[in-house]
Amino acid sequence: MAASKIAVYSLSDLKNTTDDALPNYLTSLKFKQSHALTDVRLALSSTAVIIAAITFYADYKLGWDATKQGTFWAVIVYFILNGALTFWIWGVEKGKVFNGEGKDGALLSISSSTQKHSPIYYLKVKTSASITAAPTTSEISSSFTRWFDSDGYFVAKPFQQWLASEIAMIGEADPKSVEAAKKVREGYVELTDGDVKVVEKNEPQGSGSGKETPSKKIRERSRKNLKL
Amino acid sequence: MFAALSNPRQSLTQVLNFALVLSTAFMLWKGLSVATDSPSPIVVVLSGSMEPAFQRGDLLFLWNRGQNTQIGEIVVYNVKGKDIPIVHRVVRKYGGGDKPLKLLTKGDNNMADDTELYAKGQDYLNRSEDIIGSVVGYIPFVGYVTILLSEHPWMKTVLLGLMGIMVVLQRE
Repeated sequence: MAASKIAVYSLSDLKNTTDDALPNYLTSLKFKQSHALTDVRLALSSTAVIIAAITFYADYKLGWDATKQGTFWAVIVYFILNGALTFWIWGVEKGKVFNGEGKDGALLSISSSTQKHSPIYYLKVKTSASITAAPTTSEISSSFTRWFDSDGYFVAKPFQQWLASEIAMIGEADPKSVEAAKKVREGYVELTDGDVKVVEKNEPQGSGSGKETPSKKIRERSRKNLKL
Repeated sequence: MFAALSNPRQSLTQVLNFALVLSTAFMLWKGLSVATDSPSPIVVVLSGSMEPAFQRGDLLFLWNRGQNTQIGEIVVYNVKGKDIPIVHRVVRKYGGGDKPLKLLTKGDNNMADDTELYAKGQDYLNRSEDIIGSVVGYIPFVGYVTILLSEHPWMKTVLLGLMGIMVVLQRE
């Protein structure tokens, strides 16, 4: 996927880009994504659209009097489908960005959300060893600044490291990222454009050079790009 | 947007979202048609023949249930063979009850009644066939937009194109 630039102050841009990146990362780790939820939504909406299209065509060809009875039922069915679609999006999908299973058949489902005017990405993670096993639910969150640089480019590595270190099931599939995340946390490395580079040990948190600060190199670059 | 092309489900979602906006508007209109029993429950006044009651551009709401139309009611009718709805007042009625109701209409601002306007050989309106509804409410002037759109068809194309581009590009 070609990396594109987004407006860092647009919360929906941040969320949509991250939502798209999450299943891409998991499928690259050989997680099997299930599209069942999406397919039901697509089936509901396309049926509704097709009913409206037929109504439109019949009305155009035959006129009002001939189609009155049919239109009556079409309107009813259309709005029932629309109601079902709304229920599906708000009641069933609930912001689900990934639904699937890992290598050993364990189930993983992740929903994302944000709160108005706050740049924090919330994930609700549900895992279970199998369909019959009781699921465990956990909630994690992080600032978007962790994986977007100041220019608005998505940086995959820190995002993947965050997921791998927070969600055990992903960590098992991608131990390298867990290791890298640990090093970053301990302050032995600093993030650059996506590679991990070993530097001198940082001062403890609070000195302003914590894990969420963009690297000096990125800062230098954005200063140069600033047009006044 | 280009990233979406590599993901068929996501591009289908975006296309369907746009289609749902259009189809919901259309089905709401049809729902109103069914409820009022009128093929065109909202019309825009196109001429000044009903001044001072209605001006050009007024938006009228019609109701077509209850076929017992009275003298003095303002009705909208379609002349056979012509496609323009006309808004005029009922000035005379014949029949009713068991017999089919026949109406004669006249524009408040016109000198003569509408016999001239009716289809060839017709000198009254048939309530159940010609009338598309009685006026039950109106909003002044807001219908002027549609007069502009129908008199300058390119505006329609521009408006529809802009709507389409916005929905496809945005993901709100």
